[in-house]
Amino acid sequence: MNSHAAGTSNGGSGDAAAGGAARRNTRMPKYSKFTQQELPACKPILTPKWVVSVFFIVGVIFVPIGVVSLLAARDVVEIIDRYDEACVPSNMTENKLAYIQNETISKECIRNLTVTKDMKQPIFVYYELDNFYQNHRRYVKSRNDAQLRDASKANQTSACEPEKTTANGQPIVPCGLIAWSLFNDTYNFTRGNENLTVDKKDISWKSDREHKFGKDVYPSNFQNGALKGGATLNPKIPLSEQEDLIVWMRTAALPTFRKLYGRIYFDLKENDTITVSLNNNYNTYSFGGKKRLVLSTATWLGGKNDFLGFAYLIVGGLCIFLAFAFTLLYFIKPRKLGDHNYLSWNRHPAGR
Amino acid sequence: MRGDRDSNLGPSGHRQTTACTRPALRHQSAPKIHFCLKIKAQEIHVGDVVWLHENDEIPCDLVLIGTSDPQGICYVETAALDGETDLKTRIIPPISANLSVEQLGKVKGVVECPNPDNDIRRFDANMRLFLPIIDNEKCPLTINNTLLQSCYLRYTEWACGVAVYTGNETKSGMSRGAAEPKLTAADAIIDKLTIAIFMFQIVVVLVLGYFGNAWKYTEGLKQWYLMYPVEGEAPWYDFSIIPLRFELLCSIMIPISIKVTLDLAKGVYAKFIDWDEQMFDWETNTPAHSANTAISEDLGQVEYILSDKTGTLTENKMILKRCCISDTSYGNDNGDQLNDVRLVNAISSNDPDVIKFLLVMALCNTVVPIKSNDDTVSYKAQSQDEEALVNAAANLNMMLISKDSSTAEICFNGSKFRYELLDILEFTSDRKRMSVVVKEGQTGKILLLSKGADEALLPRACPGQQIQRYLEAAEMYSQLGLRTLCLGWRDLKESEYKEWSKNFQEASCSLDNREFKIAEVCHSLERDLHILGVTAIEDRLQDGVPETIKLLRNAGINVWMLTGDKQNTAIQIGLLCNLITSGPGFESRSPRIAQAGVRLATDTLPQTPHRAGALCTGGKTEEDILRSLERALLIMKNTSETKDLAFVLDGWALEIILKHSKESFTRLAMLSKTGICCRMTPLQKAQLVAILKSAGYLTLAIGDGGNDVRMIQEANIGVGISGREGLQAARAADYSIGKFKFLKRLILIHGRYSYNRTAFISQYSFYKSLLICFIQIMFAFLSGLSGTSLFNSISLMAYNVFYTSLPVMTIIFDKDISETTVMQYPQILLHSQAGRLLNPATFCGWFGRSLYHALVVFFITISAYSDEKSEMQELSMVALSGCIWLQAFVVTMDTNSFTYPQILLIWGNFVAFYMINLILSAIPSLQLYTIMFRLCSQPSYWISMALTVAVGMGPVVAFRYFKNLYQPSAINILKQIEQSNGSIQTSGNLESARAKLTNLLTGSRKIRDSNYHPLLSDSAESAR
Repeated sequence: MNSHAAGTSNGGSGDAAAGGAARRNTRMPKYSKFTQQELPACKPILTPKWVVSVFFIVGVIFVPIGVVSLLAARDVVEIIDRYDEACVPSNMTENKLAYIQNETISKECIRNLTVTKDMKQPIFVYYELDNFYQNHRRYVKSRNDAQLRDASKANQTSACEPEKTTANGQPIVPCGLIAWSLFNDTYNFTRGNENLTVDKKDISWKSDREHKFGKDVYPSNFQNGALKGGATLNPKIPLSEQEDLIVWMRTAALPTFRKLYGRIYFDLKENDTITVSLNNNYNTYSFGGKKRLVLSTATWLGGKNDFLGFAYLIVGGLCIFLAFAFTLLYFIKPRKLGDHNYLSWNRHPAGR
Repeated sequence: MRGDRDSNLGPSGHRQTTACTRPALRHQSAPKIHFCLKIKAQEIHVGDVVWLHENDEIPCDLVLIGTSDPQGICYVETAALDGETDLKTRIIPPISANLSVEQLGKVKGVVECPNPDNDIRRFDANMRLFLPIIDNEKCPLTINNTLLQSCYLRYTEWACGVAVYTGNETKSGMSRGAAEPKLTAADAIIDKLTIAIFMFQIVVVLVLGYFGNAWKYTEGLKQWYLMYPVEGEAPWYDFSIIPLRFELLCSIMIPISIKVTLDLAKGVYAKFIDWDEQMFDWETNTPAHSANTAISEDLGQVEYILSDKTGTLTENKMILKRCCISDTSYGNDNGDQLNDVRLVNAISSNDPDVIKFLLVMALCNTVVPIKSNDDTVSYKAQSQDEEALVNAAANLNMMLISKDSSTAEICFNGSKFRYELLDILEFTSDRKRMSVVVKEGQTGKILLLSKGADEALLPRACPGQQIQRYLEAAEMYSQLGLRTLCLGWRDLKESEYKEWSKNFQEASCSLDNREFKIAEVCHSLERDLHILGVTAIEDRLQDGVPETIKLLRNAGINVWMLTGDKQNTAIQIGLLCNLITSGPGFESRSPRIAQAGVRLATDTLPQTPHRAGALCTGGKTEEDILRSLERALLIMKNTSETKDLAFVLDGWALEIILKHSKESFTRLAMLSKTGICCRMTPLQKAQLVAILKSAGYLTLAIGDGGNDVRMIQEANIGVGISGREGLQAARAADYSIGKFKFLKRLILIHGRYSYNRTAFISQYSFYKSLLICFIQIMFAFLSGLSGTSLFNSISLMAYNVFYTSLPVMTIIFDKDISETTVMQYPQILLHSQAGRLLNPATFCGWFGRSLYHALVVFFITISAYSDEKSEMQELSMVALSGCIWLQAFVVTMDTNSFTYPQILLIWGNFVAFYMINLILSAIPSLQLYTIMFRLCSQPSYWISMALTVAVGMGPVVAFRYFKNLYQPSAINILKQIEQSNGSIQTSGNLESARAKLTNLLTGSRKIRDSNYHPLLSDSAESAR
């Protein structure tokens, strides 16, 4: 963009010098470039040269980033298994809700996964829920951070409606809908005879463990009501070590989300068959939500998300295209910048 | 207001208990001496006798009853009241003239005066003193017998008076009116847009609320983890909860900060005006000042300027240039002073007519000679014309040496003459003349000396006298743009005078309708005058007036001149200052339909010929006037070149037109670019402003005198010139400047920039509020239409108050094109005049941009942060950062000139956003804890930001560039010209271009009224 320093024209300063002595008594405003709006300024305008080069440069930068991002995303190996339908016994497919709500029916379910590509450790185990509104206003507010952090504030259950207290008025720790609806499916992985242990340490944010969830806060009165929500918590373990809860309570912003279940520190080979024995406890049938188990590796950019890669490629390509189009257009239909004849009052002949 | 000033109080009186016979006579007082004490001004009661010393501020309105001066005169400075800096004489009423100092304290009497009003030029009251002091006669009181509050006593050792009005009932107290707050056109549009957005908000809330409830009943109840209460248990207002939550979410749609931001910006515009060195007047040492800080944008949208003539366009520095005595016309074309040899000879040869002429010049006035220590005499006058006449007489050896209430001393050729001043028949704007009755000291002859406007005086000439040549002389002088006055005199018989004097006394005493009665009486004396001659006083045009008017007219502003002067002088000044274009081609084109525009007092005078380029409307009868108005309208409509035609109108014609056909006049007013209205009363000036205002035009009234105050207050923008006629106009005005020529800078530079800046600031404020609101609305569709806020409350608050309102403030330093360019191409003002930068169309552009940007930010955020990354706090912060990145680029994109405060604020704010959020991320108790640290360490965050900017700004840049190159607006072109030339050279075809533009202006304005043009839409206009 072209720039030039605006010329400072100060017509009055000549007089100012003349009136030097009188100046002390005068009501003349004090001169400064600021008050006279004469600060040196750079005035860029959109000339073809600048616009074309900006678009070109952006394109040239974006395309490689897009390629790198896309490669990174492609590097990730992901195994997704939807099990909510498959785990319903064939005789109950008509009434899944009755199945999930009947505590007497065993919820165990075996799934076999085939590894499509080599997967290097650590392998992240996620569960993915769909059509689950953790971001619903009623839900997202229903927690009390003070209670989670501080044992002495167990009675602080404000905002936890409607999971505030037990029927006899005892405060629930941790209170609120989020904790109450804690996800409770469990997974065990075996490869042949080899047990692939899932490491559930450090699946939550370190900052949450250290500062958001108290080391001396123990669950009490949790899931004691008539209405059971999700998982129960071991009242002997402090909240700071209840990592599943901590992960769950980092509410997701979107109705489809994955949460970390644990990590597997084994390298998986292509065509390996992994047997998952899972407990299909969590009710997503009442609202038609899907449940998936995801095994995934990770790169510097995160998981298998090629959106950024594609977006960069498209935007970069478009920029380069525009740069060429503008150049071409400029040569086909050149316009002189700053032509007097383009001024509206010059363009129209007199009389209308 | 009335602090704790001490004033030396004379004998404290008390209110007399005499019953008021007439309700109008409010104050009756009878001072009675008791003791003398100092009290606070606030403790003065009506009827108290107040003693003042030199240089005291007068604490309340007083009727003067005694002074230290043996003649009963005292001087007051009334600058605080009317802005006039000259001293005014105040006289003791004759009835109390002979009171001794002791008696003053004991005096008893009654003052009858009207209810308090704000007229500082009138005080129609009378006073009666009780026995034993003097007779029981009523003595009239005028404004000359009063000391008004907030004036200062000068050159008088002491004075004492009776308090008649106190506190807020004083003349000055009553004049203090609360000024009506003015709303700018830009503000009006902003208000309309606000209402539109509010409606939009309601619709959004209702729609989202409806679907929210629908979702709740179809989906929400199935989501067991939400634990909705079962039907029947829900409170009755359940249906309204979701709409109200959306209302809460959408309440940020209307930016509350806009008012604060705009007020702040307006304050800075006003300061820039105050600071402007190029609007500083060295001669009078006055800087420009904006008293009203809220209406600077209107300056950039002015469509009509209504200007006073005397003192505004002209310097109001009068010099006697020519005169016509008897048959001879003195003074030549290049004559600087009246030093024509023939005149000097005539004086030395004691030509009786010439001497009489000079005598009238020296005596027939209200000038106060002030003798300084070195025996030179200087004159203090309220009227510049009088001062000019007295000075000229003094130069011609007829020197007024001293003057008091009853006598005047003249020194002619070294010998002194005494004259007894018997009566002064004062000047009023209705009579247009004044006279004095004097008695020659030596001969005892009584003379009536008169001076006045030619049409006021010539008809009163004695029947036998030939007045034709004076008429011609007056005509000729006024064609030269000089102000003419006629002088005359006659002998009075002792008996005639005595009888008249009685009538005059009576009339002066009357309480109601006094002015009219006095005029009647004066009328009876001022007849059969022996006309001596005509004086021609030059009132020079102010420096730079023609250029300024030309520039303003080129900028598409219609300039009207409203003056109290006569038509010929007005037209002449109009020609001189480019108001009317005269040229050889014009004469033929201009229709010769004109009637005499001047209302003539008698039919003996010839009709005023029609002037080039001026369409006169007038006539002697009402029908004549109305017919000529219709004809003028017809011509204006039909002739294509009429845009340069001015219509000329006088006060009387206006009165009739306003009474009978206001609409056709309004149409005429809209058609013609220039108007000259002469013989206007202050009220009529205001009426004209009101007519234009009611037609929807933005008016600016500029004037310098007290007679312009009403017009200034009536107009959208009032500009006062702090000139020689005092500060009255400047005080009432929104802006005060030292010279007319500064008006161009005020309008073209300050007004235009202010408008541009306000247009950006206001629309940007809506943009940024809408941006974040749209994101919230989009998020609603992903959160079960429950009204969840994506952003936490701290971020939302900081976004509006901090992150987005600081960068936009930088636009107050922005200049789209340089000042020189604006002055070179004043036509560019049309852009702001027609409201091209702030109107529904441009607003739609901003609305669309915010919607687009919201889509970009939202979809990039939810796509990049999906699945395992879709943590609420993180996602919200990513979206917020996206908004901050975009808005920094939007402001950068729309900034035309970058100065260091701008760069500092825009990018400093950007850095501050990260600093603040990093700090907030370090506080464990906040929801934001560690979020920003996590994000900043993720490559995907930075990649997303860059993507947001590229996708958000790319189309904007491309679109801008395309427009800029292939459909440039005038501003774009001028920017390009500025760039390519570095400095601008006036191109050859510029002049013709300007001429063409003038033809376009009226048309463009009409288009503006019917529909708005977005910025960059010149082509749309041309297609029409």
